[in-house]
Amino acid sequence: MSVDPNAPTQGGFPVPPRAGGPPRAHPARYLVPALVAAAVAVGLGAYGKVHDPEGTAFNLAGFSSTGAVKAWLATTALGFAVLQVVSALMVYGKLPGPSWSAGVHRWSGRAAFLVAVPVAVHCLYALGYQTATPRVLWHSVLGCFFFGAFSAKMLLLRSERLPGWLLPVVGGLVFAVLTVVWLTSALWFFRTFGVTT
Amino acid sequence: MKRSGPLFTLLAGLVLALFMLSVNATSGTGSSSYTDSSSDPAEPTAPPAASTPAERPSPTRAATPSPSPTPTKKAPADARYAGRTDDDSASVAITLRDGEAVAYFCDGRATESWLKGDVEDDGSMRLTGKNGAKLDGRIVGDKVRGTVEIRKRTWAFTAPRTSKPSGVYRATSEVRGQQLDGGWIVQPDGSQVGILKRDGKPAKAPRLDPDTGAVVLADGGRLTARPVVP
Repeated sequence: MSVDPNAPTQGGFPVPPRAGGPPRAHPARYLVPALVAAAVAVGLGAYGKVHDPEGTAFNLAGFSSTGAVKAWLATTALGFAVLQVVSALMVYGKLPGPSWSAGVHRWSGRAAFLVAVPVAVHCLYALGYQTATPRVLWHSVLGCFFFGAFSAKMLLLRSERLPGWLLPVVGGLVFAVLTVVWLTSALWFFRTFGVTT
Repeated sequence: MKRSGPLFTLLAGLVLALFMLSVNATSGTGSSSYTDSSSDPAEPTAPPAASTPAERPSPTRAATPSPSPTPTKKAPADARYAGRTDDDSASVAITLRDGEAVAYFCDGRATESWLKGDVEDDGSMRLTGKNGAKLDGRIVGDKVRGTVEIRKRTWAFTAPRTSKPSGVYRATSEVRGQQLDGGWIVQPDGSQVGILKRDGKPAKAPRLDPDTGAVVLADGGRLTARPVVP
């Protein structure tokens, strides 16, 4: 993917520079994020599998059930994630966007992540890693994978001199995985129990 | 220049996760919204110890006999089991399919729990349900022996193998804005217990026709219950 030369300077958004420095990045630039991502994903899965599911956790006021809280938090995260895709396209110049689209991208990403964390904590603490049905299996696998991929994305942002296609691909992967995780949980919840709070 | 923003983002998430874990770990079970519809204030069933049969095993894992694995290494066959707790206060039914099990514990009044999990090759199972409910069991011959623990209370049970129409049924539906969720256990002798929750409030369920799954509600409404499989 070609990079809009206007984009990288906006708010320090980490579009990989194209010139300067050694032409090939040191392998550690990829290896460290990849290893951290694998460790995060496997670690979460192992915790969910080994830890005895408590079945209980706190609830938020105003919601009828923990499931409803999680479904809405997850939906919020997905909303921010959609904003992520749009703002990323703006940053890369694929869509017309304001100069502050990089800021939108960064802060909507943080919001999506921080909203998703409580959901994941509840999943892993109260329910654990389960394989009983295809829906649950895929949700468990991809839920762990999501946080690994997100960690990789964050760490890759710190590296410079990456191939231009890498961040969009990893970012797109994070978004796609989050979408499947949402489809296998929140959408299922809304279809099963109705769109309730 | 190394950007530290992404690191702060990850750290913030980590801190938030640890904070929520500590809240969870310290808040206990009282604040849960995952109800198993066990009505705490008026525990209706007699304590399990009240009518302890002589052979009642201790309510720990010792309830499962010492390992006597089946000679062949394959997952236990698909089957239905239905029986009662040793104190005769509640029914337990388990359905096995493809190495997985779903179980229903129901006293027909206020306490019920749905439990799920894997069945090991040796026929032992450790199922979990909402609110920390647990079922430990093992297939011994044509029976499942084990214990169910719900809200810190433990019942031992024996569930012999059974066949249709005996087994466990469930119906969920929304009728006039009310969320209905019913579970039934039909015993081999045709007797049955069930709990129908209306918007989460448990009560004795109306009779289920095991042949058709039809349930006629007191207000004339109808539900259709289906056999539960993992």
